[in-house]
Amino acid sequence: MAARNRYDVDETLQSAFSFKHFRRAIRYARRHTKRMILALAASMIAALSSLVYPLILQQAFDVVIPARDYRQLAVLTVIATLTTLLSIAMTKARARIVCDVGQSIIYEMRSDLFAHLQALPFSYYDSRPHGKILTRVIHYINNVADMLSNGIINFLMDIFNLVFIAIFMFFVDVQLSLIILAGVPVFILLLMLIKPAQRRVWQKISNKSSNMNAYQQESLDGVKINQLFTREEQNAGIFDRLNQDYVHYWNKAQRINNCVWVTVDNLTTIVVGAMYLVGVLVMNPMASFGTIAAVSNYAWRFWQPLLNLSNLYNTFINGIAYLERIFETIDEPVEICDAPDAVPLPPIEGRVSFHDVTFAYEPGHNILEHVSFDVKPGESIALVGPTGAGKSTVVNLISRFYDIAGGSICIDGHDISKVTLHSLRSQMGIMLQDSFIFSGTVMDNIRYAKLDAADDEVRRACETVRADEFIQEMEQGYATEVNERGSRLSQGQRQLLTFARTLLADPKILILDEATSSIDAKTERLVQNALNELLKGRTSFIIAHRLSTIKNCDRIMYISNKGITECGSHEELMAKKGDYYRLYTAQRTSAAGE
Amino acid sequence: MFPLRWVWKNLKGCQGRYVLGLFLVTITALMSLANPVISRQIIDRVLLPPAGVERDLDALVPLVAAMILFTVLRTGIGYCMVLLFEHCGMHAAAAIRSYLYRNLQSQDQSFFTRNRTGDLMTRLTGDIDTIRAVTAQTVRTGVDSLVSFIAVLIYFLSTDVVFTLLLCSLFPVLFGVTYLYSKRVRPYFAAQRERLSRMNSRAQENIAGNRVVKAFAREQYEIELFDENNKAYRDANIAVNRFWLKYYPVIEMTAQAMSLAVLCLGSLFVIRGRITVGQLMAFSGLVWTFSNPVRNLGPLLNDIQRFLTSSSKVIELYYASPSIVNRADCRRQDERLAGDIVFDNVSLTVSGRTLLHDICLHIHPGETVAVMGNTGSGKTLLMNLIPRLQDATKGTVLVDGTPVQDWDLKTLRGSIGMATQDVFLFSDTVDGNIAYGDSEMSEDQTRRYAELAAADFIDKMDEGFGTVIGERGVGLSGGQKQRIALARALAVRPSILILDDTTSAVDMETEHFIQESLEHLDFPCTKLIVAQRISTTRRADRIIVMKDGEISECGTHDELIRLGGYYTEICTLQEAIGGES
Repeated sequence: MAARNRYDVDETLQSAFSFKHFRRAIRYARRHTKRMILALAASMIAALSSLVYPLILQQAFDVVIPARDYRQLAVLTVIATLTTLLSIAMTKARARIVCDVGQSIIYEMRSDLFAHLQALPFSYYDSRPHGKILTRVIHYINNVADMLSNGIINFLMDIFNLVFIAIFMFFVDVQLSLIILAGVPVFILLLMLIKPAQRRVWQKISNKSSNMNAYQQESLDGVKINQLFTREEQNAGIFDRLNQDYVHYWNKAQRINNCVWVTVDNLTTIVVGAMYLVGVLVMNPMASFGTIAAVSNYAWRFWQPLLNLSNLYNTFINGIAYLERIFETIDEPVEICDAPDAVPLPPIEGRVSFHDVTFAYEPGHNILEHVSFDVKPGESIALVGPTGAGKSTVVNLISRFYDIAGGSICIDGHDISKVTLHSLRSQMGIMLQDSFIFSGTVMDNIRYAKLDAADDEVRRACETVRADEFIQEMEQGYATEVNERGSRLSQGQRQLLTFARTLLADPKILILDEATSSIDAKTERLVQNALNELLKGRTSFIIAHRLSTIKNCDRIMYISNKGITECGSHEELMAKKGDYYRLYTAQRTSAAGE
Repeated sequence: MFPLRWVWKNLKGCQGRYVLGLFLVTITALMSLANPVISRQIIDRVLLPPAGVERDLDALVPLVAAMILFTVLRTGIGYCMVLLFEHCGMHAAAAIRSYLYRNLQSQDQSFFTRNRTGDLMTRLTGDIDTIRAVTAQTVRTGVDSLVSFIAVLIYFLSTDVVFTLLLCSLFPVLFGVTYLYSKRVRPYFAAQRERLSRMNSRAQENIAGNRVVKAFAREQYEIELFDENNKAYRDANIAVNRFWLKYYPVIEMTAQAMSLAVLCLGSLFVIRGRITVGQLMAFSGLVWTFSNPVRNLGPLLNDIQRFLTSSSKVIELYYASPSIVNRADCRRQDERLAGDIVFDNVSLTVSGRTLLHDICLHIHPGETVAVMGNTGSGKTLLMNLIPRLQDATKGTVLVDGTPVQDWDLKTLRGSIGMATQDVFLFSDTVDGNIAYGDSEMSEDQTRRYAELAAADFIDKMDEGFGTVIGERGVGLSGGQKQRIALARALAVRPSILILDDTTSAVDMETEHFIQESLEHLDFPCTKLIVAQRISTTRRADRIIVMKDGEISECGTHDELIRLGGYYTEICTLQEAIGGES
């Protein structure tokens, strides 16, 4: 069995913090390079124009007020107003572009992920809680998008701001500016100290919340079993533990995170204070008041981008943790896909042949070995044998849900590994053990098999499988809303619906995998009659435990010991007095009570 | 306001700390105003004293020291304050989650028919996080802004009334615009939320139904459907943003106008000698604090709006009360139940349709009763009444002479082992799944119950009983899942064993084996077996045939054969298979 994931197991990350994922994510952003550059330009203009204000203020204090120059004051006010307007306009432009780009990135990434999920095999879905897959599609992607749009632009902007503020500051006074910059190394030292801890704790948080949510979802899905087995209290205990784990790391993260702004605030005050002292007591002649005012204004502004950058670093750290998960999913190998030179399978007659087929779910554990058989178009084949012997496996191989390890499987002489999956599967009607119902109307559910089917066509299919009767009895007939969890439908009714769905597809090859196990004997007999009509002109593979269903088939294959041990018509196999004979008589005896 | 009271209630154990947090945020808000005041002192006394005042260089060092000390104190308190809020917010969220988990687990089936898992999960994750964020952050920043605003207002007024009033004249504009915005933005937020939820459900179904999708080669169709949802969600997000950007310039410009007014009017007033340069500096330093609360009013109103929506969604679940609960005077019992079951004139009506009609039936301890009948005839419903998965609308179901409603649910359900039709297995080890009803059970014991249920395939799995099986047990075949579910039901050594079509996907030979082991259980047990096969029913002490919610036939195999009804028909039908050869 593949490694499976439980609610209480943290998903381990494959790689440590790496820019590999980030570079890969940038590809999504790169499709919008032009707009990103525009947004960056707008941000720069906005930032530059907002830097003008302190200069104007300095001018006012140093020149206008001492000189009582009303005219210049008016000029300054007009300039300040214009730059403010410009800054607002540019900020708006930037916000608009960034939102569009960010949303496009989310959309594209989510589309890619979803499309990839469609190609992944059953085993992927079987090996982890569905809640964990869903979280990737919805929440992780939402979280990443902000990093790739706003994050990148803010990063560039903050760097840009830092440089420009520094330049403006130096322009005003070099000595005083150097004092302000003296705080930077201290800040960087602090960041280097706490960042590794911060990264670890955020990873913990994301793992713990994923575990907690997966457990909640499974508890909701299995609520009936929890109640029947009176596990509510015990499970609540488990949940509380998961919940507390999450709270613990959350609080820890807060303790670490909040150190940053505290440090920045204090550092800023200290450097500004130092600047006052130096400017007044050390410098000779004493720095002008306007100079000190301007430098201290820049000092406060200078620390903001630094604070932003440290926060951004967090966003990036989290984002990359999410990216790792997303790319891990996108990188999940698609084992079963169209061969590079795959051609569409032409409309088939339904001849199925296995040549020396060997198959294993995992290397070394062969389920089937050297299986060969030929099925003529229109023939009906029953597969019998002990549970777990590989009956379902055989039919799954025909639809190429798994790839074989050796030999070949051909339909109408076409090797199925060389035709497109869509053309192959769309010509088969497969009815599985799980009768999954989508939320929507009854009509929609059946129409899933043939999207352009007319209402009448759907009805006819339902009549054929005797589902029409109970559907008509529901409040809104075919328009009744049903869903997966809906207890509106009994297990048998669900099977009838999926049966109708399969028939509607009008396949050349029909596969019934325990399809009728929950239908009562009487209904099944009716279905059986309809089926006999339907089987005409179709190749069919039927897995059933009821001998009534099996007996009518053209040929019966007894599957055990990794292959077909007996094959022939009912009469032939009975005459052989082998496994089938024993199975048949056992059932007959228990049925007849003899 | 109810949602606030509700959050307050969930802050229990933390309420004191929350109040302390509110107190501290007031202090820090006031303290953060001290910096400009000290700066003003530095300017007026040292840097640029007003005409006629002596420059006081000696004051500089103490003033700077005071400024630094003050900041250390303020940020120290601020750090504690923020942590208090964050802890309290998380505490409330955890308390709500914990309560909701328990409450949801106690809901009856009708609740889960109404509420889909996807939607429930949205409420349990996103909505609770909104409540947390509001409790921890919005309240904090709101109080901080309010206090700063009031303090600055007082300071401004004490400095220059006319100047302050001039600045205040901009407020009505700001208020008007933000109010308009917050009112009109609601439908945009609603659409955003709705579309996210729709996309979520879509993806969830696709994941759950992945087998069907593949069987019908509908991947492309699914991708297209999802694409619509994905696009719709994207557009909703963009629409929210666009709408905000429509209002942003007006709000921002009005706020900035205050800074411009300080520059223009302030300089004018200084020139006229109405205020000092230091005062102007203070104005210019504080004007942001003054306009920010108003500027943030829009986002604040949004947060409140979101909080109200989210909390109402969560509160709905919080106060959802199941109809199937323990009575105050319910009967608890430690010793084993005998397993006597009586249906006394039981009817069940669901949304106006009567699905079970006046069922009268007495099942004696130790009896084996088989239940047959057409799809939808009410077999499962009848079984569900015994462990109270559903309550009868009329009549009484009695177990050991006590109506099921009077039993303690734990006693009742603990005495019943049930394997339901739709097998649900947990993503846990095989061992953990079988021992689900009693996690103390040793692996030897689970092994024994697995043997009874003919689950010999487990040993062939790589890690045997330690193998983790997937959600809904999809890694296994139908028959394998059924047998694990059967072992799980047996493992509680129930007084009443209910098997709802539990062996339908199991082959004949295995079923025969299971029948044998059921007949030789080492504990007394009343068995109710829903089945379609005569091979199963004929071994039963009594057979009940259900038809349209009524018992149409009842008796032993031989009696019913002679009756010439449904059962006879099914028998001939199933025996006919053998008869021909």
